[in-house]
Order: sequence, then C-alpha cells, then structure tokens
Amino acid sequence: MTALLRTPATAVWVVLITATAVSWTLGTQHGTHDHKLASVIILLIAFIKVRLVGMYFMELREAPNVLRGLFEAYCLIVCTLLVTVFLWL
Amino acid sequence: MAKRIELDSGLAKAAVWSGIALIVAMIVAQGFLMHFIPPPSPALSAKELAQRFIDRRDEIRLGCLIQCIFWSFWATWCMAITIFIRKMERGWPILTYSSIALQGGGYVFFILIPMTWGVIAFRPETLDPAVMQIMNDWVWFDFLFTWPPFALWMAVIGLAIIKDHNVPTLYPRWVAYLNFWCAILIFPAGLIVFFRDGLFAYNGIGAFWIPFAIFFGWMIAMSVLTLQAIDREKTRQSENEPAMASV
Amino acid sequence: MQPTTTRPSPAVAAKKIPGEEGVWIFILGDVCVFAVFFTYYLVQRSKHVDLFDLSQSALNKNFGAVNTVLLLISSLLVVLAVRAMRVAERTLGQRLIVGAFICGVAFIIVKVFEYSERIAAHQIPTTNGFFLLYFVLTGLHLFHLIIGLGVLTALFFLARKADLSEHQWAFFEGGACFWHMVDLLWLVLFPLIFLVR
Repeated sequence: MTALLRTPATAVWVVLITATAVSWTLGTQHGTHDHKLASVIILLIAFIKVRLVGMYFMELREAPNVLRGLFEAYCLIVCTLLVTVFLWL
Repeated sequence: MAKRIELDSGLAKAAVWSGIALIVAMIVAQGFLMHFIPPPSPALSAKELAQRFIDRRDEIRLGCLIQCIFWSFWATWCMAITIFIRKMERGWPILTYSSIALQGGGYVFFILIPMTWGVIAFRPETLDPAVMQIMNDWVWFDFLFTWPPFALWMAVIGLAIIKDHNVPTLYPRWVAYLNFWCAILIFPAGLIVFFRDGLFAYNGIGAFWIPFAIFFGWMIAMSVLTLQAIDREKTRQSENEPAMASV
Repeated sequence: MQPTTTRPSPAVAAKKIPGEEGVWIFILGDVCVFAVFFTYYLVQRSKHVDLFDLSQSALNKNFGAVNTVLLLISSLLVVLAVRAMRVAERTLGQRLIVGAFICGVAFIIVKVFEYSERIAAHQIPTTNGFFLLYFVLTGLHLFHLIIGLGVLTALFFLARKADLSEHQWAFFEGGACFWHMVDLLWLVLFPLIFLVR
C-alpha cells in the first residue's frame, strides 16, 4: 500500500485538501469588508484544483498534447470567463 | 456451420433515410406550418392559446396529417440501428429486445402529438379554452416529459457498442460515449413539470431547446454513423468474411 | 513471472490517452455543459446580487466542505485502485474501489441532510432564482454522482477478473476518469454556489 502511495498524486491530494481548507476559511469569514477579492481568490483556487485533478488524477500529464491542451484551455477559459462575469457584470 | 445471413444494405439505408425524412417533415410541419417550434409559452392564458389554434387552424390540421405520417418512420429508423445491436451482442438478445421495446413506445408518443393537436384544431372555435390548454400542455409533456425511454435506449446503444464482440467493432467505440452523453443531456426535459416560465419551462432553453437540439442532433449523428456502418458491412460481405454474419 | 495485468508505468510509456478517446468526448462535453451552467449562474447572480447573496447565506457551507473532502478522498482511492490494478493487486484494488463507493454514498447522505435543511426552511427550487439554480446544479451533479456509483460498481466487477483485455482496461481507466470528473465538478460547484459573493 505504501508503494502505491508513493506517487505525485498523493502529494497533490494533500495540496487539494489544504486548498479546500483555505477556500473554506476565506469563504466563511464574516465581516463587513468587500468580499470580492476573497471570492476571486476562491475561484482561482477552484480552477487550480480542477487542473491538478485533471493532470494528476486523470493522468492528463501523460496524455497526447491535443487532449491535454483541450483540458488546460478549458481551465483557463472557464476560469477567466467566470472571474470576468463575477467582477464586471 | 452457421448460416450466412446478409445485410440488405438498400433496405437498411432506406430505413436510416426515413429518419432524416422524419426530421425534415417535423421542421416543415411543426415549425413552419404550425409555428410550434418553439412551443407556445406555458405562461399564456387559455384564451391566448386558444386564439393561436383558431388563427392557424388550417395550417395546424395539415401539419398534423403530415406529422402522423412521418412520425411513423421513427420505428423504421430505429430498426436500422437495432439490427446492428443484434449483431453486436452475442447470445441471448436482451439488448436487442430491450431496444425494440423501448422504441415501440416511441412512435406512439410521437403520433399522439399531432393527433392531439388535430383534435384541438378540429373545433377550436367552440371548444372551451381551458380544455384546449390542458390538451396542449398534455402534448408538450408527451413531447418532452417522456424522455426516459429514449435516454434508456441511448444507454442501451452505448452499452451494446462497448460490449461489441466484433473485430473491428461495428460502430467506433467513441459512439458509445456519445450515446451515454446524449442520454444524460436530455434529462432536463423532465423539469418542465415544475416551471411555467424561465429556463425549465416547456418552451425554455434548458428544458426545450437543449434536449430538442441534443435529441435531433443525435438522430442526425446516428444516421450518418449508421450509414457508414452499413457501408463497412457491405464491404465486409463483398470481401466474403463470414465471421460476424452468424445469428 | 510477469502479471498479465501489468501496464508500463506512465513515466516510461509514450503519451497515452487515459481510457480511450470516446471517454473524453463524454467528459469534455459534460464539463462544457457545466461551464455553461456556471456562467449562467453568475450572470443570473449579477442581475439579483443582493437576493443571491442573501439566499446563499442560508446554505450550510460545512456540509458543502465535508462533501468536498469526501469526494477528494474517494478520488484518491480511485487513483490508488488504478495503480493497484496495474501491479495486479486485484484484491487491494477492489477494496479501494469499495472505499471510494462508500465515500460516494456518504456524500449522498450528507446531501440528503443538506436538502432536508433547505426544505424545512421553505427554501425550495421555486422559492427564488438562487434556490432554483442551487437545486438544479447540485441536483445535476448528484445525478452524475449516482451514475458514477454505477460506474464504480462496474469497475469493482472488472477488478475481479484475472485478465483484462485492452478494451476492458480502457473502460477501467475511463471509468476512473469519470469519477474524477464528478469530483472536479464539485470542486467548482461548491465554491461557486456556496462561497463566492
């Protein structure tokens, strides 16, 4: 079992859990200050997590460039789109 | 020695094309003649809806006659695919029979649509608008709310392709995933019962346009793919390969 | 003795599509549909900012966070299960899949509590635009998760075989990717609907 765990994916998993905790802290903080910055950070973290899942769990790091490229493009485009709509609409 | 059974590619292709004819007829009859693509809003009052039937009474009657004819081709179109399912599965034909059963309901649902509109347009001036409204709602529910057997058949097609024992497979394997995806995507049609306006009303983007586009897009895609599969089988037969021809 | 289910490790092999092409048509297509929904959510929010923010505050963020952790754990277990299968550790692979399945069931249980809380507070899909989207998006995700449980079940039975054909391997990896997609979608859904304001 330990041999199975010796893979970058496990380290990535720890990062994902940590990132979740960070987002949750940022998202549940109360206060009257403007929450926009925190929300943007939360969105960015979300898509970093998405990319990590794709690269390390779905093994797209070793996939042909076209497929990997499509996924990376998806992360970039959707993240940008959501942040833009959030900030500017 | 297994009996050699040949595919009549002429008939099979005609069956596929009957499905294309179905789609064209629907656009002409339901769209241009009856003005029922997209559906009238469920938020319309009974009187407003009744007026639509009175105004386009003749176009609706004609469109319904056309639709009753062309929806019948759902059965023939489905069979073009089902004969391939029969060849893809080995042994007792559960996927094939499930397919036939699921499709059989299909053209009944479809023909009830123009039949009901025909009944509404039969005496629209004297029929109670409230009754017409219920019947029209009923038609759109018949069109959309009945999505599950169709989704299930798409899943059966996908499953048959995944389990295809032929080498090479009769359909490319990715077609299975296309079917699974379409099966999931038409489900929002089921949400029409909860909303009379907005995204998931029966004229909404989520519950009408997306499932409508996916379903008929899927029919067109499967038509193209089936025609290709028929061609491949024809070539295989003419090259005298006995491998997959046994029942 | 070379186990028949061993695959070359990714570091050594040439670039390889995880699963098979067809799976990616499905996965990329699905995440694109969700992207449309995510965008639609934010557009709707921009038209009713106060309503959305107020309604959002009624949500149970703790349940949402717990669900995120559950799915992350289940994804790791699936990653490990694939690795186990690659070195022919079939029993371990099966157990890991069961673990992932249990996490999925736990997610559903938490979701039931979450939905019950909302319904008890008279927050239902027809209450307002926020709750409509909340239920539709989380419901659509839940639907995918339930299908994912079916896929995990299929993987469990596949893992019992002594010998997987190339197509069966493709299905195994593809099924694993589908589960990761379920995880990935929640990774966006949770912050978007529960936290962003």
